[in-house]
Amino acid sequence: MEILAFSILLLPLLSSLVTLFFLRKHGNVAALLSVATAGGILVFASYLIFSNGGEDFAWDANWLTLSNWELRFGFLIDGPARLLLFVVAFVGLLIHIFSLGYMEDDTAKSRYFGGLSIFMFSMLGITLADNLIMIFVFWELVGFSSYLLISHYFTTEEAANASKKAFIVNRIGDFGFLIGIVLTYWIFGTVNLKELSDLASFDPSLTSTALCLALACGFIGKSAQFPLHVWLPDAMAGPTPVSALIHAATMVAAGIYLLVRIDFLFTDQALSLLGLAGSGMGLYAGFCALVQRDIKKILAYSTLSQLGYMTAAFGLGMPGIAMFHLMTHAFFKALMFLGSGSVIHACHHEQDIFNYGGLRKKMPITALTFLIGVLAISGVNFLSGYFSKDAILLGAYNSNMPVFVLLYAGAILTALYMFRLYFITFEGEARGKYAKQAHESASLMTAPLIILALLSVIGGYHGLYPFSLIGSSLSDLELVAKMPNHLWMIVLGTFAWVSGCIAAKLLYSKVDQLDPLETKAPAFYRLCSSKLYFDEVYAVYVKRVQDPWARFLEVLELLFVSGLMVRGSAGLAALFALLAKTFYVGRIHAYAFWFILGTLGFLAYASGLFGN
Amino acid sequence: METITPHHFVGLGGVLFAIGFLGVVIRRNLLLVLMSLELMLNGVNVALVAFSRTSLNLDGSLFVFFIMTVAASEVAVGLALLVALYKKRASVFSEDMSLLSN
Repeated sequence: MEILAFSILLLPLLSSLVTLFFLRKHGNVAALLSVATAGGILVFASYLIFSNGGEDFAWDANWLTLSNWELRFGFLIDGPARLLLFVVAFVGLLIHIFSLGYMEDDTAKSRYFGGLSIFMFSMLGITLADNLIMIFVFWELVGFSSYLLISHYFTTEEAANASKKAFIVNRIGDFGFLIGIVLTYWIFGTVNLKELSDLASFDPSLTSTALCLALACGFIGKSAQFPLHVWLPDAMAGPTPVSALIHAATMVAAGIYLLVRIDFLFTDQALSLLGLAGSGMGLYAGFCALVQRDIKKILAYSTLSQLGYMTAAFGLGMPGIAMFHLMTHAFFKALMFLGSGSVIHACHHEQDIFNYGGLRKKMPITALTFLIGVLAISGVNFLSGYFSKDAILLGAYNSNMPVFVLLYAGAILTALYMFRLYFITFEGEARGKYAKQAHESASLMTAPLIILALLSVIGGYHGLYPFSLIGSSLSDLELVAKMPNHLWMIVLGTFAWVSGCIAAKLLYSKVDQLDPLETKAPAFYRLCSSKLYFDEVYAVYVKRVQDPWARFLEVLELLFVSGLMVRGSAGLAALFALLAKTFYVGRIHAYAFWFILGTLGFLAYASGLFGN
Repeated sequence: METITPHHFVGLGGVLFAIGFLGVVIRRNLLLVLMSLELMLNGVNVALVAFSRTSLNLDGSLFVFFIMTVAASEVAVGLALLVALYKKRASVFSEDMSLLSN
């Protein structure tokens, strides 16, 4: 078993190394190698998931020994790990294949596909890791690969800035995460997840809200939750398949996965805080998505909102539902991102939805699959999003009313902005000049769309999945199934998507270059497009507080470290050398003289003249 | 009439050693430097023989033989070096040899 886990981990690493050392000039070979690697990962991962019938598997070995402290390297493959492993391997492969078509004309293919492989390596590392330090190592690695891939078009200033922003904002969260890991080790004396879970169930008083929140900082950074959500919309500057893989389906979901892995540590206070924060995010991101013009930014805010739903599910004490929604979301969000990629590819990298229009007739497969994604995310009855999202809503309705109200308003908004995106992009008349010439993408790109659309339709029926995949979510799903108010929830859920859809139809069926909301409710439009001024506030903070502080530190560094310590010690040595140099006169008489003087000195010392 | 005591011998050895040292330090002619070195060795020899005589054992005298042997070979090597140097530089003065001083 551990051989399998090792092969899953090392395959993409090997592929990226081979690409780095040998294939930098051979983009097509690198692309094929990367896709083959993704296929290999899926094969190994399926073997790992299904080979022992849903039994947990743990293995570890010594990695580093520092005096009496030992760092171990190991795998813990339990229910959530199997689920995420499947999502990463399966959706990853589809996105790799899509990339073949999308990046066909790119000049830096080998860099792109090498980056995808290193991302797969780090993401699988998070999935399989059995202790917090190992998770942290791979956590940083996904941050690095995300940086690498966002800045793929690094010649544009937007992408360069976005990659920096993503990395730095993530570092802020990771700093809290690191403090949390140190605290965990301090309190429990171990960072191994299994041992932690045993200890926490043995003595629940060990854990504390502060510890949970420190660990949750890592999640907040990676899953782009309030207040570190600002990096995700900017990260859309990367290639679209990257947005689908990293910024929708897998990496941002890793934050939720982390929470689920350490859910035994969470106190009720921390959980209710997360529940509120998540549902608030679900609503806030919905308002932001409503007024965006860039197709990818709409999807990015929608991702933020859906991550908020998962957080809320976790906060309500239903980690299984959070994982379930993570999986269905991975299907329909990857589908919509890839669909937008197909549209962007067909329209020569035009991303403003008001320059599209009427694409349904020109790109029927893309339009149909995209519509399925829209229906699934809006929670249309009996599609995948309906099961996972309404499970969250029902859970909230029965246990926490404020959270439910926020989530429900978010659900209406989700339907509204998603149908807005669909109507403006695919219906009506073509507006931009590229939209007029658009045509359907190659089958290399539409095939992943079709597969993902199929999964978005049937992905909500948990009975379809084998036990080893869905096992960890079953208990929470049954819990929700036993809850009261089912029928009422169905009515409410249906009302949410229907009203969103009708409102979108009324508002956006006839649009021109201008957003109708901008003319009808300008104040509301401005408020939404300001995104509540988070970016501006952070910019002022950095300019007024952080930059002066950094300059102050720089002066200190110049004075003391590089001035006094580095230059100072070198100066001292030089002074001594200057003195010692005067002895080297180069005349034999002087040397003889010093020699005899030295001998006399020894003699004096030996006979006790110096008082010894 | 004063008798000759071991002090006189040690004093003689010390004087010889001091003269030899001054010769090494002051003289510029390397031949004379070599001769002064021999003088220093002989000063030590005189002192060793005197100690050997007063303490009535042969260790000091034995040492003197070794020193004389080593001194003989040292002179042979030193003179050979000097001849070789003279062939190369046509001089036996030490300041002509100080090539490292600047």
